[in-house]
Amino acid sequence: MTTAEERVGTRYSFGGDEWILVELAEAMSVGVNMRSLAICRRLEALALDGVIDICPANASYLVRLDPDTIHPRALEERLRELEAEVGDASDFHLQTRIIDVPILWDDPWTRETVKRFADRHQTPELTNIEFAAEINGFPTTDAFRDAVFGTPFLATMLGFVPGLVWGYQLVPPERQIEVPKYVRPRTDTPERAFSWGGAFTAVYPVRGAGGYQLLGMCATPFFDSRRRLPDFHDRDWFFRAGDIMRYREVDRAEFDRIRAAVEDETFRYPLAEVEFVPQRWYDDPDGTAAALERSLDDA
Amino acid sequence: MADDSVIRSPVPGVFYRRPDPGSPPFVEEGDEVEPGTVVGLVEVMKQFHELRSESSGRVRGFTVDNEDVVNAGDTVVELDGAG
Amino acid sequence: MTLEILQPGLQTTVQDEGRLGLYAGGMPPSGAMDKASYRMGNLLVGNPDGLASLEITYLGPEIAFRDDAVIAVTGAQMTPKVNGEPIANWRSHAVRADDVLSFGFIESGARAYLAVAGGIDVPPYDGSRSTYTLCGLGGFEGRALQAGDVVPVGTGVDGRAGLDVPVDLQPDLGGDTELRVVVGLASYRLQPESLETFLTADWTVTPDANRVGYRFRGAELHFVEREQPAGAGSDPANVVDFGYPIGSIQIPGGVEPIALLADAVTGGGYATIATIISTDLDRIGQSKTNDHVRFREVTLEDALEARHQARARLDRVRALLTDSQEHAIG
Repeated sequence: MTTAEERVGTRYSFGGDEWILVELAEAMSVGVNMRSLAICRRLEALALDGVIDICPANASYLVRLDPDTIHPRALEERLRELEAEVGDASDFHLQTRIIDVPILWDDPWTRETVKRFADRHQTPELTNIEFAAEINGFPTTDAFRDAVFGTPFLATMLGFVPGLVWGYQLVPPERQIEVPKYVRPRTDTPERAFSWGGAFTAVYPVRGAGGYQLLGMCATPFFDSRRRLPDFHDRDWFFRAGDIMRYREVDRAEFDRIRAAVEDETFRYPLAEVEFVPQRWYDDPDGTAAALERSLDDA
Repeated sequence: MADDSVIRSPVPGVFYRRPDPGSPPFVEEGDEVEPGTVVGLVEVMKQFHELRSESSGRVRGFTVDNEDVVNAGDTVVELDGAG
Repeated sequence: MTLEILQPGLQTTVQDEGRLGLYAGGMPPSGAMDKASYRMGNLLVGNPDGLASLEITYLGPEIAFRDDAVIAVTGAQMTPKVNGEPIANWRSHAVRADDVLSFGFIESGARAYLAVAGGIDVPPYDGSRSTYTLCGLGGFEGRALQAGDVVPVGTGVDGRAGLDVPVDLQPDLGGDTELRVVVGLASYRLQPESLETFLTADWTVTPDANRVGYRFRGAELHFVEREQPAGAGSDPANVVDFGYPIGSIQIPGGVEPIALLADAVTGGGYATIATIISTDLDRIGQSKTNDHVRFREVTLEDALEARHQARARLDRVRALLTDSQEHAIG
């Protein structure tokens, strides 16, 4: 079973002989994600021999190791020490970036996809936007849109497929939007579709199946195996866990201008280097989020 | 090894007699087949593998039903007068 | 040097040890599904570790060699033939320019490996030549091979024909088999009786079994009902999205467990309950649709011991074949 001496709230577990999963909490929150990031950043800094992958996730993290180099139980001990050092992460200062992500809301491409797969949706007569607004008690779809674009999102995890980023909005729990996924997943979704499923946003990095509710179209790529854009020269993806994403509504003219810049390979994500201090955000979520956005606008 | 009087599936999977549910079967009992004639599909790993006759002859019958699971090497079609 | 694909088979891809260190970005390792067979192939033809081979699934390709070469076929028994004459598996063979390699029906296992002295020399992508077809990267143009492809082979390795892997050192070939698992991850989500069922049921590999994952049929499992925590989705099979180890097993909706393999999705919101130990990933890679498997719980120490034994066996093959290669040079 799981290893002995489980600390209440945290589960350490061996995934066969090459993986350790550390589940910090069963529920999602900004705080638990900060603990995951803080532990992962410390583990990266240790640069231990035999640690192959360090994967921060929403309320957990996953480590791949080479058991011929480091014994899984020895690494588990080290991870427990890091957890103790990090504590509730209240003194964690996350050095990160806030990045501008341009979105065309209620775009023609996802609208077409929503129509095409209406039979797989709980309310075929509503658009995904109408459904998400209604189920979250927004009086109008405009009010829903304003809530989505009103506050930036934390990139809490990457994965599923390369370059897919889970986004968790930096609002207090009572303002968190949750949207059920499709009843049956679509077999097709356009690349760069901007979506919401459960507590998280995602931009589809590549075309494919999916069950998140479709809200718009992102102008910029999340995955590029040809590495054409300068931001992608080193890796197939640009974002990493801990980034802050400011989804910004753009009109069709700006969307087309950005698409042209992507096509001629001159586009770079506008961003600012920032420090995110969880304690400041707990004390004043809206003020902290607004200050982050100002850093981006001033950059 | 080679037995011209039967057509076997080289792969395991689900056997289909039709290219899609709305179409007629590739071949029926009594139909003449030539080398290369498609007699069915086997679906595995989300791919469809075409089963083709290697000889000419007449379809005596199918030893598996539509949508039956087959193993690699299973006989699927028996032929009369194969050569 | 090159070889030409006359017929591609069902799915023939370039694979090596895999693409490590990118899991945090969502990039699975890919790589040979049965590493032991793949590695022994390289040893047979005198390749240094890590050179790429062709992974052949279920149905063999037809390949014309454009140059003289030394080859070996390991893994699944698919009756390899050169110019129509059967050749032995687990043995190195010299082939001549214009010789054609073909295969018969698969008899045991699921995946054969074709090693060529010099290795398959496609450009590496992020340190690996493995094909990841889902994103179209690595390998030969990011895809399974097609008829007409001319595949580059490296030079500088002089393999020697006539070397064998002795029968007692050849790996088991999947089929109806037992897969050892370490139970854990989110297994607390499963009802205890269901965990017992998972570990005792006879599971059948469905046709939905590929490099991304294998889906099994055989029993129904039930999760503990609960008020779902924030962010965990509405189904009791859901958890707050987390990372999936390679070899981990999830059970969407309580039916049909899925084992995630080399080209897996790296994370998501389904409770995973156990992980196949690294040694037995080779074995599942040799299981095919309709085969029966059981999952047997082992401890971490058992998993490490199995890994140690598999390594020792590979080292014995290495010692044996390296010795022979050196005698050849002398």
